[in-house]
Amino acid sequence: MVAVVIFGEALTLGLVSGPACMASCGPVLVPSLLTEQTGFRRHLRFLSAFLGARLLGYLAFAAAAWEIGALVSMRPASRMLLMGAVNVLLACVLLWYAYSARQICGSSCSSAKLVNIGTTKDRRVAGAAVLGFLTGFSLCPPFVAAGVRAAELGSVTQALLFFIFFFVGTSVWFVPFIGIGCIARNQAVLTVARMTMTLIALYYLFLGIAMLMGRKAYGF
Amino acid sequence: MASKACTPRLAPATPRSVLRALLLTLPIAVWSLLMLFHPGTPTDAKSRIAEAVTALFMTGLFFMMMRTGKTYRWRRCFFVALGFLFPVGFIYNMVLARGTMGIPIEEMIAGRTPFCFLAIPLLIVPAALTKTLVFPGSIAASRHAIATMVGLWLALTLVLGKGWCAYACFFGGIEEGMAAVPKRAKIRKIDPRWRLVPWAVLLAMVLLSLALFEPAYCMWLCPFKAVTEYVTARNAVGVVQNAIFIVLFAGLVIVLPLLTKKRTQCSFFCPFGAFQSIFNKISIFEVKIDRTRCKSCGVCQNACPNLSLSKESIAQGETLLSCMKCGACVDACPQDAAVWHIKGTEIAWKPERARLMFLYAAWAMAVMFGGSIIAQGLFTILHFLA
Amino acid sequence: MTLRAKLGYTAAALTMLAALLTPFRLMDSFAKGFAALGLHVDEMYSGGPKLRTVAMGPYSIAVHKPVFPHMLQSGNPFVQLDWSPASALPQHVSDVVDVDGDGRPDIRVDFDVPKDPKTPLRVNVEPLNRRYEAMQNEGKEGFSRLIVRVDNAVLVRVPLANR
Repeated sequence: MVAVVIFGEALTLGLVSGPACMASCGPVLVPSLLTEQTGFRRHLRFLSAFLGARLLGYLAFAAAAWEIGALVSMRPASRMLLMGAVNVLLACVLLWYAYSARQICGSSCSSAKLVNIGTTKDRRVAGAAVLGFLTGFSLCPPFVAAGVRAAELGSVTQALLFFIFFFVGTSVWFVPFIGIGCIARNQAVLTVARMTMTLIALYYLFLGIAMLMGRKAYGF
Repeated sequence: MASKACTPRLAPATPRSVLRALLLTLPIAVWSLLMLFHPGTPTDAKSRIAEAVTALFMTGLFFMMMRTGKTYRWRRCFFVALGFLFPVGFIYNMVLARGTMGIPIEEMIAGRTPFCFLAIPLLIVPAALTKTLVFPGSIAASRHAIATMVGLWLALTLVLGKGWCAYACFFGGIEEGMAAVPKRAKIRKIDPRWRLVPWAVLLAMVLLSLALFEPAYCMWLCPFKAVTEYVTARNAVGVVQNAIFIVLFAGLVIVLPLLTKKRTQCSFFCPFGAFQSIFNKISIFEVKIDRTRCKSCGVCQNACPNLSLSKESIAQGETLLSCMKCGACVDACPQDAAVWHIKGTEIAWKPERARLMFLYAAWAMAVMFGGSIIAQGLFTILHFLA
Repeated sequence: MTLRAKLGYTAAALTMLAALLTPFRLMDSFAKGFAALGLHVDEMYSGGPKLRTVAMGPYSIAVHKPVFPHMLQSGNPFVQLDWSPASALPQHVSDVVDVDGDGRPDIRVDFDVPKDPKTPLRVNVEPLNRRYEAMQNEGKEGFSRLIVRVDNAVLVRVPLANR
């Protein structure tokens, strides 16, 4: 019964926080979905890889933080350094992804595979998973709130389960992204998607560098 | 298909008579007096002179459009005047009100940041999801309040569609003026993929505005902050933001138009222009290419300041979605193949009627909106000269 | 003339009519319609709605509802207090304020009021309740912590300690 209450709380927290997660993942997810071929199934696959890896990112961070008790007491300066590094890495991956999309799709955009990053077989990873994993490290307030609550639970297993239910709650809000599969794909759409990804990558790069320098990325 | 020998010329072979042109101009003259001298406008001598000059200017340009049968050259005179005089009046009012072009935090808290149309596409998604406007203005409390400006934008868009970019936008005239300066373009070959950048900027800014809950374009990328107002820099990042605005303005609005003779900021960057393009789908007026007359010479394509014609679109008899209805291609076409058109009617059937109907609507808007801005700019100049 | 052409001309005529009506009716109607949508300016800018006013003799302190930023916004939650009219404020203001209206003092606020309204202001805030953060000699650091003069009022935004 207690478990039902706790995990119900996690699900509710996820549902309530979902719009924020959707908004924060949007800049990464929307242009990368637009580089894929049309079709619900293809987009479902992409989204699943993205969200699955995002969950892994959550869980990996949560487990480490729970064990060392660091999540609740993490100093703002340390958090900022971590966020800065993640943003710079995310920017680099986005730029590489935008470049890779050109190579894969060429002029006919006919590849059925998820866009891969890396050139050799043994180092291929699904681009969606990499982006999802890095986005999972974003330490957005809903994630921190879930982490604080999870840290109050009795064991790391309970904390991880709490996160999983929280994650399921947030993921409901990602279902509409599958609708992007309806948008017709042609060279223009692909080019716009790659350009958008590049612009967003530049923003994240600036944001990341500013955070690494210990500065706020806002002029006011 | 009618042979070229017996296809009648569509545009007047000789200019309209002065009397006929005057008669056609009369409604615009009356409208100009109504718009610029209505009760509530200032009655001091300088204001009256500014209003009178503006009314004469706008009426005179319309007269020339009627007399010569050409549109682009005369419209451009208005648009360049608007582009250069808007910052004059705007900056003067800002400095008068708060002593600086910079927007201090107090003004944002007080909700007195003048609302700019460029922010509209950025506000839609956050407002739809949270009923919150991520702009430091006020809904209804001031002259530049959000509701007033959105109401104005809606009305102008209903009438003009993407023609906003040729008859209303108070920023485009600067680069149109710059593009008119050189006799020949130094850069003539432009990759058509650059036309897609405004859509990418629009998508990126909409997504970032939702993620960050702020008008991202206004905070990071608007070139026209350099000639209107900007958030006062209070730290190094603020200085970087302002530097970005200045570099973008110098590059996209001054240098590139001089080199290409194109409206480069509008064609290759402006997300609001991409947004307005969507409204061309519902706009009843458009420009078409009459395939029975077109010889695929490409003159229209070169003449277009916005790269809104491509070989493929010409082959289909159409302009691209980004067409601003400025009239450059229509005036340039040696075969009268580029024509004004009302959707649903036959192409090249009484195009002059379509042109007149469009110009009456568009010029009425131009006088109402742009005319008042020009008058304000002239008043500011007179104020400093006197 | 086909039906399509007739419809086209009708739409064109209506567009011309819309142009004529814009300054007289259309613009105002659209503006009123937009204002009626019930949207509000982001409270990070506006400071949130006023909850109550505390009379302090010649002036009063308006207490606003605490503002919590949307999840991805930069900035901390804060509560805004307005001292007005600024013309009635003494040279030095030192007030203890019950922010949450529970009858117990929450913060002490100290600031000078220069004669020249353009002089930048500085404020010290001492929290008497753990819910609020201290401010030492703060000016206008950001939307979440500041002191500014707006028209005839002095606005102080005190950050909340926990998110």
